[in-house]
Parts: sequence; C-alpha cells; structure tokens
Amino acid sequence: MSDASYRIGIDVGGTFTDFVLAHRTRASLAFHKEPSVPGDPSLAVERGLAALFASHGVRPDEVELIVHGTTIGLNAIIQRRGARMALVVSKGNRDLLEIARLRLPSSYDFTVPREAPLVPRDLVFEVSARMRSDGSLITPLDPAEVDALAEQLAAAKVDAVAVVLLNAYRDASLELALAEALAPRLPDVLVTSSGTIWPEVREYERGLVAGLNAYIHPLMTRYFDRLESRVAGKGVTAPIYITANNGGTLSLKTARERPIDTVLSGPASGVVASTKVGGAGGRAKLVTFDMGGTSADIAVCQAGVPEFTTTTFVGDFPLMMPVVNVGAIGAGGGSIVWVDKAGLLKVGPLSAGADPGPVSYGRGGTEPAMTDCYITLGIIDPATFLGGRMVLDVAAARAALEGIADTLGYTGAPGGPDRAVQAATAAVDVASAKMATEITKLLATAGVDPRDFALVAYGGAGPTHASLLAEEAQMGTVLVPTAPGTFCALGAILADVRRDYVRTARHTIGAVAPGRSGWPAIAAIIDELEAEARAWLATEGNLVGEADVSVSFNLRYGCQAYEIEIIVPPAERDGIDEAGITERFHAEHDRLYGFREDETPIETATVRLGVIGRVAPVALPEPDAATPEPRGHRPVWHRGAQVRAAVYQRADIGRGAVIAGPAIVEQLDTTTFVLPGWRAVADRLGTLHLSREAAQ
Amino acid sequence: MRLDPVLVEIMSHKVTAIAEEMAIALQRTARTTYVKEAGDFGTALATPDGHFFAYPKVMGVSGFLDSNVGPTLSRVPDLRPGDVVITNHAYLSEGLATHMPDLHLIRPIFHDGTIVCHAWDFIHSADIGGGVPSSISPRFSDNFQEGLQIPPLKLVKEGVMNEDVLALYRANCRTPEVNLGDIKAMLSALLVGERRVKQLIALHGVQTFLDAQADLGEVAAQKALAVQKMIPDGSWTFWDLMDDDYNSKVPIRVRCTLTAKDGHIHLDFTGSDPQVLSAYNIPTGGHRHPWLTLKLMHFIFSHDKTIPLNHGIFENITVNAPRGSVMNPAPGAAVGIRSATAIRLNEALVGAMSSAKPGVMPAASGGIMIPAVLVEEDERTGDRRVMVLQSLVGGTGARDGADGVDGRDSSLANQRNTPMEKTEEEAEAIITEYALRPDSGGAGMWRGGTGVVFQVKIAKAGSAVLGRGMERFVFRPWGMAGGLPGEKARVVLNLGTPDERDLGKLDIFHPEPGDTVTIMTPGGGGYGDPLERPIAMVVEDVRLGYVTPDAACRDYGVVIIDGELDEAETESERASRRADRDDDEPVAAFGFGPERAAWDALFDDATMVELNAALMALSPGHRPLRRRALFEAVVPRLAEAGPVPMDEVIGDLSAARARLDTEMNKLRAALSATDAA
Repeated sequence: MSDASYRIGIDVGGTFTDFVLAHRTRASLAFHKEPSVPGDPSLAVERGLAALFASHGVRPDEVELIVHGTTIGLNAIIQRRGARMALVVSKGNRDLLEIARLRLPSSYDFTVPREAPLVPRDLVFEVSARMRSDGSLITPLDPAEVDALAEQLAAAKVDAVAVVLLNAYRDASLELALAEALAPRLPDVLVTSSGTIWPEVREYERGLVAGLNAYIHPLMTRYFDRLESRVAGKGVTAPIYITANNGGTLSLKTARERPIDTVLSGPASGVVASTKVGGAGGRAKLVTFDMGGTSADIAVCQAGVPEFTTTTFVGDFPLMMPVVNVGAIGAGGGSIVWVDKAGLLKVGPLSAGADPGPVSYGRGGTEPAMTDCYITLGIIDPATFLGGRMVLDVAAARAALEGIADTLGYTGAPGGPDRAVQAATAAVDVASAKMATEITKLLATAGVDPRDFALVAYGGAGPTHASLLAEEAQMGTVLVPTAPGTFCALGAILADVRRDYVRTARHTIGAVAPGRSGWPAIAAIIDELEAEARAWLATEGNLVGEADVSVSFNLRYGCQAYEIEIIVPPAERDGIDEAGITERFHAEHDRLYGFREDETPIETATVRLGVIGRVAPVALPEPDAATPEPRGHRPVWHRGAQVRAAVYQRADIGRGAVIAGPAIVEQLDTTTFVLPGWRAVADRLGTLHLSREAAQ
Repeated sequence: MRLDPVLVEIMSHKVTAIAEEMAIALQRTARTTYVKEAGDFGTALATPDGHFFAYPKVMGVSGFLDSNVGPTLSRVPDLRPGDVVITNHAYLSEGLATHMPDLHLIRPIFHDGTIVCHAWDFIHSADIGGGVPSSISPRFSDNFQEGLQIPPLKLVKEGVMNEDVLALYRANCRTPEVNLGDIKAMLSALLVGERRVKQLIALHGVQTFLDAQADLGEVAAQKALAVQKMIPDGSWTFWDLMDDDYNSKVPIRVRCTLTAKDGHIHLDFTGSDPQVLSAYNIPTGGHRHPWLTLKLMHFIFSHDKTIPLNHGIFENITVNAPRGSVMNPAPGAAVGIRSATAIRLNEALVGAMSSAKPGVMPAASGGIMIPAVLVEEDERTGDRRVMVLQSLVGGTGARDGADGVDGRDSSLANQRNTPMEKTEEEAEAIITEYALRPDSGGAGMWRGGTGVVFQVKIAKAGSAVLGRGMERFVFRPWGMAGGLPGEKARVVLNLGTPDERDLGKLDIFHPEPGDTVTIMTPGGGGYGDPLERPIAMVVEDVRLGYVTPDAACRDYGVVIIDGELDEAETESERASRRADRDDDEPVAAFGFGPERAAWDALFDDATMVELNAALMALSPGHRPLRRRALFEAVVPRLAEAGPVPMDEVIGDLSAARARLDTEMNKLRAALSATDAA
C-alpha cells in the first residue's frame, strides 16, 4: 500500500461544490470550487476530484480519507420529495402527526398554515399492541393483526415504514418484534423503529426522528450508492465519511442506516472549522458568522467546542437529537433591499439568490441586494469579484439603489455621499442592526457577554460584513480564516467521528434514604450506553484512534417542572459518581436560580452519551512571515464619509502581518473590510484577527 | 415622523430585541411550569404614560400588547430610580392584572431625573392563596376567594427590597419558594431591560429614544388604519352565548356593536350581560383592553405582517364596556376564568367584523381551552398526585380560501400539548385515545377544523377527573357565509359500552377503576356553501377520515359507496338540493345551529338589551340573581339544557314568549316602583 496521506473534504452547496485537499503531515491545503449539479450532486464530486487530482498531481491511491457533507436529505425534507412512507402507531394515536404539539406557527396571523404532516393520514396505521411507561405489556402483538397490517402496507406500495409505539423509548422490543414480523413480508422496505433510533420520551418528536429517517432513507441510499461508485470509478479506494449534525463524521455504513444524523451537517462543519481555527489563534469563545448568498447563520462556541441544541427544526419539524446549534439571523448577499408601505427600509427576507442574483450580476435582477450595496460603497471591487471571473455592473446597482433613495426622500449630500451611497449605507446599517440584535439575544440566552467573544467570519459575504456587524454587536474581534469560501469543506476533514446516544431514565438520586438511590441504575445505563457506543465505534473503520465519551444528564429537583442539563466533558468521564453529579447540579442550580436545596432529592430525566473517535489531526499550513504592501488604494464609503482604503491581496499576507484600517483584503472567494479605526493581525495559520484599535 | 425612517427601522429592531432579551432572561430563570411549559408570561417596554412600544415577537403571551401600566403607576406616588412596583390587583390596576395569579412588575427607567420608559413583566404564578390550590375555580363568587390581593405598591424602593411586602406575600401563598424564585427572575429581567435601555440611550441619545417611541407608535397606527379601512363605514351588532354562568344553566350573553368610520373602529359592548357570581368576569377597567381588542389585533396583523408590535396598532380603536357588565365588573367580582368569557367575547367581535366585511375573518373556532386534570390518590398514604392529562382545544374555523386547522386552535393562547408518554410517566391511568374527531368540523365550501377525542382509562380507586373552561356543550361554534356550525363538545363515560353515559360538563368527576372518560372537543365552523365544496375535496376528506361517508352525503351531497365516489348519484343529489332551495332567500351570514336558533327565537336581541339595561338598576350582586329567576321562570326546564335539545327545553314557543312578557312586565314594574320610591 502506498503512502496514503491526503484527505479531501467536500461540501455540496447550491451553487458550488467546495473541495479542500489536505496532506495529513505536510501542512498543505488546496482548494477547489466545482459548479454544483443539482440533479446529480455526485457528478460534481466526480468532476471536482478529477480536477483536484490533475491540478495537484495527486494519485487516487494517495488519498486516505474523503469526508463529504450533503444537503440532499435536508432538501428532500424541505421540498417534501422523500419516500412514500407509512407510519405505524399505537391504537388511539393515529393523529400523532396531525395534532403534533398543538401549537400553530403564528399566534397573531391566522393565515399562516400548519405544516403538512410528514405522512398523510391514510398511510398511518394503528396496532393494538401496547406497553405501559414502565415497559410492562398491556396488549401483546396479535399475529393476525400483523398479517393484516403487512397486507395493507404492501397494498399501499410504500418504500419505507416508521414504527412509533407509545412508550417504546422505555423498551423497543415491541417495535422490533413488529418490525421483524413485517420485514419478510415487505422486501426492500426499510422499517425504522423509533425506540431503536432515538429512545427518548415524547412520542411526537421521537416519531419524527424515526419518520424523517425512513422518509429520506431510500433517497440517501441511492445517493450514497452513486457517490461510492463514482468515487471508486476515479480509482479512489479510501473510505468515505459523511459529516453529521453533531459536528462529527460517520462512516458511510452508519450514514446509510441513520441518514437523519446527517441532515444538518453542512453548517455544523463550518462551526467545527471555526473552533479549530479559533483555537489555533488562542480564541475559545466564538460566535460563528456564515454569510452566504441567501442567509446568514450564527452559532456560539463557549469553550472551544460547539454548543448543541435539542430544540432545532428540520424544515417544518422539530428535531430532538443533539445538533450543533446553528441559527439563521437574516440577510445574505442576495437579500433584497426594499421600502415598505410606511416608508421603512427593509432588508430581506426575500432573496435574489444566485439566479437572477443581485442587480449588478446583470442576470435580470431588478431589485437591489446587499451585494449591490457593498459594490456601491466601494467595499467590493466589481472588477475583481470572484477573481474577476464575473464582472459586475456598478451602474445598474447604483441605479437600483437610487430608486430606493428616491422612495426614502434622499437627495444626496453636496460634497458628500450621493443618493445611491446614502441608500446603500442605510441598507447596511439596517442589516447590521437586525443581525446584531439576533446575536445579542443568542448570547443572552446563553447568559454570556458579547464583549468576550470573537466573531468568526466565513461564507462569501461573511468577511465583508463582519466588522460592521461586530461593531454593532459590541464584539471587539473578528477572525477571518484563510479560505472563508470553502470553510465548511475544511471543517469536514478536521472533524472527529462522533455519535450520540440517549436513554430516558427516571430515577431519584442525591438526598434519598440509604439504599433507595437510583444511582446504580443510572451508572448501569451509562455503562450500557458506553459499551454500545464503543462497540459501534469499533466498526467505524481504521482511521479512528482513541475514543472519548462525554456524558450529560437532564436533572431537576423533585416536584420541579424544568430540567437543567449537566454536561461532563470527556476528560472527567472516569470521575462520574453520584456525589459529583449531585454537587454539579446543586452548583449549577445555584448559578442559574440563586439557590440550592441540598436536602431535596434530584430526579433524573435523560442520560445522553456522545462517543468521539479521534481521527489523527491534519496539520494546517503556516504561512511564512511577510509584511504585505498594498496593491493600491481605493475610496470606500463608511458611515457617510469617504475613506481611502489600502487594498491588499490575501496571498501577500504572511504570519504576523499587521494591516491598519481602513483597508480591503481581496481574495478569490471573498473581500474583507477592515474598518477605519480597526487593524488586522495575521496569526500563525494566517487567520486575520481584526480588532478595534485601543482608544487614544 | 420625527426620525429618519432608517433610524426608525433600526430602533424598531433594537427596542424589540430588548423586550425579547428580557423575555429570554425571565424564561431562563423562572421556576413555575406556567412560564417554562406554557409560556404564560410577558415582557415589554412601556412609554412614560404606560403603553407598550416594544414587545417580543414570539416569546410569552401574545395577547397582552394593548395593556396599560399607567393606571397602576398613577396609584404609586413619588416614583424614584431603582423602584419596582408590584400588583396583581384586577381593579386598582384597571385591568393590567386580569386575574390574581398574574403578578405584574414595573420598573420606571430614568434618564437625568426623568422617566423615559418603563420595563414591565408578568408571570402566571403557581399559587396566590385563596380557596383552591393554584387559586382558580369557576365557583368563586367574589375575588376575595381568589387569593391575596396586592394593590399597586413598591416591592423595591430605590434598589432596596421591601421585606415587609415579601413577608406578607410569603404567608399568603401555598408555594412561596417557587413564587419568590419567579419574582427574582422577574426582577432580573427588568434589570436587563434597564441596562439595555441605558446603553441604547448612550448610543443614540435620549431624544432619539423618545422620538423612536413616538414614531414607532405612529408607524403602527398608520399601518393598522390602512387595514382597518377594509371595513366599510357603518355599524354592525353581533352576540354570542356561553353555555351557562356556572351557578345555573342561564347562558352568559356577550354582545358587540362595531361602528366603523374612515377606518376608525368603535366597539360598544352595551347589551352584554351584567357581571356574574362566578369567576367569568373580565376586568378591563372599562377602557380599551387586550381582552376586548384581541381579535382586531389578529385581523390587523394577518392583513399586514410587517406591522410593528406596539400600542399604535390600537390607536384608532375606542371601546365602551359598561360598568357592572361582565366585561367591566364592579370591584369585588371574581375573575379567575376570564379567559373563557374573553374567547366568546372575541368571537362576537369576529362576528361583528365579518358582518361588516364578509370574508375578512374565519368562522368560529372550537372556542375552548380545557386543561383536563387527573387526580390519583395513594390509598394508603393518601398522597395525591394532580396532573394535567392534556390541554384540549377544538379546531379552528374555516375562512374564505382555507379549511380550518384540525385539532389545534391558536385563537387564544396557542399553547403546546402534553406528550401522552409524559402523562403516562406521571399517571397510572392510560391514555387510550388522542385523535381527531371525524365529522366535527362544520361543513362548508371550506371545512371547519375538527375537534379531538381524548380518552383516559382510569387505573386507581379514588381518582378524579376535572376540566374547567368546558364550553360549547350547548351552543355550537358557528359557520359563516352558508357554512354549517361545528359539532358540540361532549364528555362520555364508558363510551361504546352498555353503560355509556353523557356526563355533560365536567367540574369534578369520580370514575371507578376500569372506567373510561372520553372528552370530545368542538370543531370549528365551516365557511361557504357545503354544496360548493369541490367533490374531489370531499372525497379526499373521506379518504383521509376527516369526514365519514354518511356525513359526506348528509352535509355535502357527495355519495360515496364502499370508498368509491358515485358521480351520477352525487350530481343528482347536489342538483336536487340546490333546486329545493328558495332562490329568494339570501345565504345566511352565520350558521348557528338549532340550539341558538331556538334560544334567539325566544330571547330576542331587543328584549335582552332591555333586560340587561334594566338590571343595571340593581346592585351588582343582585343582578345575576334576578336574571336567573327570570330565565328559570320563562324556561322551567332550563336545567336540562345540553343533553336535552334546546327547542324541547323551551317547549311551546308562544307559551314561553308569554311567560317572558309577564316576567319582563314584572321587572319593569318592580324597577319603576323602586325608582318612584
């Protein structure tokens, strides 16, 4: 076997499929953007690999790993293009998906429709088999009923079935027995059991995990098959891993079984890359800011690791599994700037997207977008956008913004900004204010201070808008990685293998009578989960090195209605005991609510365990020290005044370089704006740290 | 506008974010389940005179936007920086607090010695004392039974906690620790608001902050007025009925006259019932109030989704809620379940709006919100477990262009339900059904949303099932524009067994182990002529099980046999029904159903308005007694209403009419005698 040391990260986006090629030890990185093929995303993968191999002289057998992120599952859910599937539920629970959690999307607006159910009502079937919440059986499986059900399912010609029986989180055996009885009668139909895929209490949310998994399973299987054969067709024998919602990766085998684990992986990879790049730059408290064409996404990392959430949405549906907490906060470069009936200036939510795109793209767009504002202000150079691959029409952008200015009653200031610049300035201010309030709220939810955090900017428009946003959000530092346009693909090859497990476990611990503590049961659950997790990890391939587990508990004082999550990081796994966990809970309760009740028993609700299989890290390149000279200067409008900004090429910026604002840093995939009064310093990896100069 | 429109837009985001950040702080640290699970709390910033100019978009209770903290503050002299005012007093706050468990806190925010705004928050606390745990029961006849009343006073004086108030408070509620935790959370949320407001002023200047408050109100008012102009000039009256007043079977009548002129809307509730001797009164202080204008807000917001959420929305709305009526009771009236009345009142408002401009609002929703509660008792220890089995609502009404939503209803609180598995973790009883209720949605060109069927199978001896807020057992959710009403609610013991029996409304019921209790909630009203509903949609409804084949034929004239549409039979069925109609008869604007028709035939609007006006001469406590006596004299079988059809309860109409005339004459005579004396 040859010295296979190359890793390839691939992230499929709407317009481009991004590639990152890394050598594990030589600290080299190469990037490639291949136009996406929406009808067959694996074709862009195949073409991009060929291009990468050709331009970098890499042989297919030198590749040790391909890590791939895909949005096929997510898009299928959003666009409702998944399998024709059936849902099997307990008797009396037929309307699980119809009633959902009762709440409608808007409390004010009666015209906002409810979500269309994942499975239409006529493909929901009931069985009388029923279990209590303690796992004891009320009604066993009736073979005759199973026969009838199998016939109905066959007649309905479904491609997938999800089985969601009440209380199966406690014990999946009834679901499994049913699935096994159905399997031989329904060849080629995957039957997903809710209690197996995600055994957590709450039938609607757990049912959706099973339902969504079944819904995208056939489609994802076909895609993975195609991907595998195209990659193999290029002569690559390296394993393919798929990025996961939790910021980790999964072997293709696991991803085939549990495609639901991959649906939100794209943004999660960018957050993973942020933690690695931020960590190398000495920053552990981060807010990631991924601003692309249609939207901007943010996430918080408090201690060098991404924060998780269990209350996110996939399309219309809540997802209860832990995923990296990425939230949309509004405008992208293509977001439309408009004036409402009351004369107020608005940015988004409508977007010109990539097609027709902003007015300046000259592809038929008529309403100005954020990108048109950046061009009008001089932040983006129309001649060098995307490395000059696309020449932008400044006059058209300005004309569109003049229309906005006229509606707002702007007339231009003599000797100052003209109408178009005034409108562009206003739009940038509105977008900044709106996004900053979202960041402030997100940090408030976490109970932390924005001034302690650095904003990591990536995506095509992220570095362009980041400093403006940081100023508004009272954040003093912005980090711009070396290749912001392919950052998610980079995140893919920096990630470890990771999977999460859950058990619902109602026990009482802490201040209980001797011998009555539920801790032994909890400890047994942790051991059981860990054994299961490590057994799984052992099948995930040779790349996986050391394994870590992190354990978390949802706990509450008896009689309380709310739970607190206590997370035990991997380093402290071995120290988990009853005294330690109860103390952590008391202390956290004290921190949040200002008191602790040491004499009150603690109830456990769920136990979660994440297993992390370390993958040997990739060495990231460290650019040589170099003091860059500006390639020129150009005027830029900032806050209504024209400033003379030095223009740099990113490639010229070496380690330790210092750039004083106002400055523009141009590179193929983005433009970075260093505000007046700010400066940028390049760290070891070449990441730019933009910060406000200390007040004079 | 005083400010640049761009600055207004920016300030709009910023002040809203402050209110939302307060909500985040409150929800993150509050302790009661009402806050955590149901979201029964609120935060806002108010103008110096007390109206909300910043309100969260998605967090907390959506309906309190039109609240006013002004009257509360006017009762607390000498406000200083660092003060926090507390109240739960429905009357002295003039309807800021609408029932006693709701604790309201207000912190005036000063800049250079002048108040520039107020930070406000409220929570529904777990208990405030009174006759029952959690402090709410329909049977309370005055508000002294509903717990500790806290008049507007300073909880914090210039940053120092008023410990005397806390001591008094602690001694008067059942769960002092939980409540004090909540108060702490509320105080810290107010501090967040104050800190953020001060930062905003530091950044933009105090004048910009004050101008923004005014401008935002103007923008909202301007946008709201544009929507309100959809309603033509004129005056329209609509009334609706609650099944009963708890103490008797006499329905509570709410009546609304909407008068529109150039978009300005006046709501007059004259002719509504006098206050009642149960907890159904709505304390509004007699002025514009969230409970009186809720549906107008929904109407305005649904027709302009860009409108900023602030008091300006209500700028061109005025109200008249007569003193002593159920929507402006005299001090002392019980108010715990004012929400049940508010639902019906707002439906009357919808009816008036729809009379003015058909099609702008949906038909009536199921119109109920029932927390179905189970009590299980340990036979040996006597320990009781009280748990909410499920929050039950009906479906929403259909509207011009869309079917109602099945089994859900956002029209009042938009709460979440309780997972069956969570209930079964707590209870030994088993939930045997929680499903849509076929055929309960009112038929129409657009079908009303179905209600739900919820069934619990009892496991333990000594169990009890409770459900307050049970309504629409007698009078149906009405349809619109030719649409039929939704099905009524029912509660049935041992459904489908030989000992099946209707239980009527549950107050508290003690089933035996093995019994099942089934609660069926009402469906929403339909919209438009059922015969105009496309056949394919009816077939689809039948295929999916929302409508049974029998009902498809009965209500829609669509004949489905063995799952197959009989096209020819359907054509002829629909044609013959159309032919049977009287072409001269206009399509009914509202489909109330037989119960309401029978009731209104006897108790016409003119008589009811006169009766309610006359009763106002009596003391508040005597009005309901006199009223009850009159109704029971006119309809001797009134107590049987519900299970027995209304026309049968009323009996011979002309005889009843004669009794009514007699009773009215007696009343007139008695009152004129009092006047003379």
